[in-house]
Amino acid sequence: MKRPFFLLVLTAFFLFSCANEKESTQQAASLSETSEETTDKPPAPFESESDFRLQAISYFVGDFDALKYDEHKAPSFSNKITIALEYFEDGIVKGHSVVAGNSRPFSGVYVKKDEEYTVRVAEPGDDRYDGVFSFIWNPYYSTGLVGTWVANDTNLAVSEREFHLKKRTFEYDPNQELPEDISWASLYNTDPNLDEMEGEFLTEDVYAFNPSKDRLKKEDIENMYKGDLEIMRNSIYARHGYSFKNRKVRYIFDRYVDCYMPLVTDVRSMLTSLEKENIDLLKRYEAHAEAYYDSFGR
Amino acid sequence: MPVPNEAIDCFSFYFGNYSVKSTKLQITRFLLLSLLLAVFAYFCWLMLGITLQYLPLDTDVAFLRIKQDYIGYWHYQVAFFVHVYSAIFCLLAGFTQFSGWIRRKYAKVHRMGGWVYVVTVVLLAGPSGLVIGVYANGGLSSQIAFCLLAVLWVYTTIMAVRAIKNRNYRQHRFFMIRSFALALSAITLRAWKFGLVALFHPKPMDVYLIVAWLGWVLNLLIAELIILKLKQ
Repeated sequence: MKRPFFLLVLTAFFLFSCANEKESTQQAASLSETSEETTDKPPAPFESESDFRLQAISYFVGDFDALKYDEHKAPSFSNKITIALEYFEDGIVKGHSVVAGNSRPFSGVYVKKDEEYTVRVAEPGDDRYDGVFSFIWNPYYSTGLVGTWVANDTNLAVSEREFHLKKRTFEYDPNQELPEDISWASLYNTDPNLDEMEGEFLTEDVYAFNPSKDRLKKEDIENMYKGDLEIMRNSIYARHGYSFKNRKVRYIFDRYVDCYMPLVTDVRSMLTSLEKENIDLLKRYEAHAEAYYDSFGR
Repeated sequence: MPVPNEAIDCFSFYFGNYSVKSTKLQITRFLLLSLLLAVFAYFCWLMLGITLQYLPLDTDVAFLRIKQDYIGYWHYQVAFFVHVYSAIFCLLAGFTQFSGWIRRKYAKVHRMGGWVYVVTVVLLAGPSGLVIGVYANGGLSSQIAFCLLAVLWVYTTIMAVRAIKNRNYRQHRFFMIRSFALALSAITLRAWKFGLVALFHPKPMDVYLIVAWLGWVLNLLIAELIILKLKQ
């Protein structure tokens, strides 16, 4: 019972058929009106035998795209988000969301109409990035969640976001490789004085080794650029479902690694001893590259 | 404005012939050598900064962060710190030993400075350089480069001492020019690395393999050119 969390995830299974994309889009269009109506109403009564019951935590993953934003505050236009539904019964919804290194609980209500659930859940409100999620879910016909999020604080860089999430399960897999198109990905904002073409890029070195599987030797990595080392090391955390606060790293995994899903904000207890050793070695070369690569010295 | 002969003398290390004909040439030479000394002093300052990274003694800082495989060996540790702490003193020779003015007017300073340089190179920085050269990053090529550098450095220095013991001033001068050119590889190696990275952004070990050779071979060639010019 080393990782009860993962065993729990493993027990999650698909209850539903595949997503009907067209229907979901239509649902999204009608979302704003329905969610307004549901705000303070008590949950509608329902027949228990036909009502959906959550068997285990369900994860929904996808892009969390900015709708309303302030360009002058360096908004993050798109982040990968995971919405976890933990409790979904008797009109009550409980769960949490994980995005950009921020894991926040939420709770609220749902209203059922036909087979479709209109959900409105709020984050506690004691974090400056808290807000309210409104989404639609049809567990019988669709595996996706479609909806919006509105921040409590309208002065945030991004005060409103939309999402269209797919149901996913999570399993730690040390054999998971980085995709090949990750090489030549440009690293975000490494030097604000450089434009897009002059900035720092990844190379194919970044997937030359899998640090969750291969024991790295110094000869393996001593000729690598800092960016490749950094992403290689962070791929270890990504395999465990770490949600990155660091924008540079987050952009890479959100955009290029389809199998990546943000789940937790601390993976330290989940790392294998092989991964820990590799992290230590990679960090040494990263620190050395950072301090000395372009300086007068070794 | 004529520059006093004394001042010209004190800076004329490489340019041997003191019988300067025109005042214009004197000024040019004076400015050129001042500039050279200023640049050298600046690089010595940078080298001092690199040395001070290892004070107080710590085995998990700077360059040693990526030498953890070897830092466990006591002989590597001893060699590394002997090299780091002693090598900086070799550079001081650049300020005093090549000045004909100091040599003639203050022969004691020249002799003392010479002994400091020779003892540092032959007993401390040279042999320790050989030991850490064996464990150089980048494989056989850079290992050979650094070991060869250490051997040639000690060899040229010993030859210079032998020459002066035999009162062969010419040979002494030539071998000290070679020895000091090799000592300067501490600076040129790092300067090449800085330049190559700024221009071409190569991978870290690729640039290391290049400068391991470039850093001292070119110096030695320039030293031979200077000696050739002095022989004429």
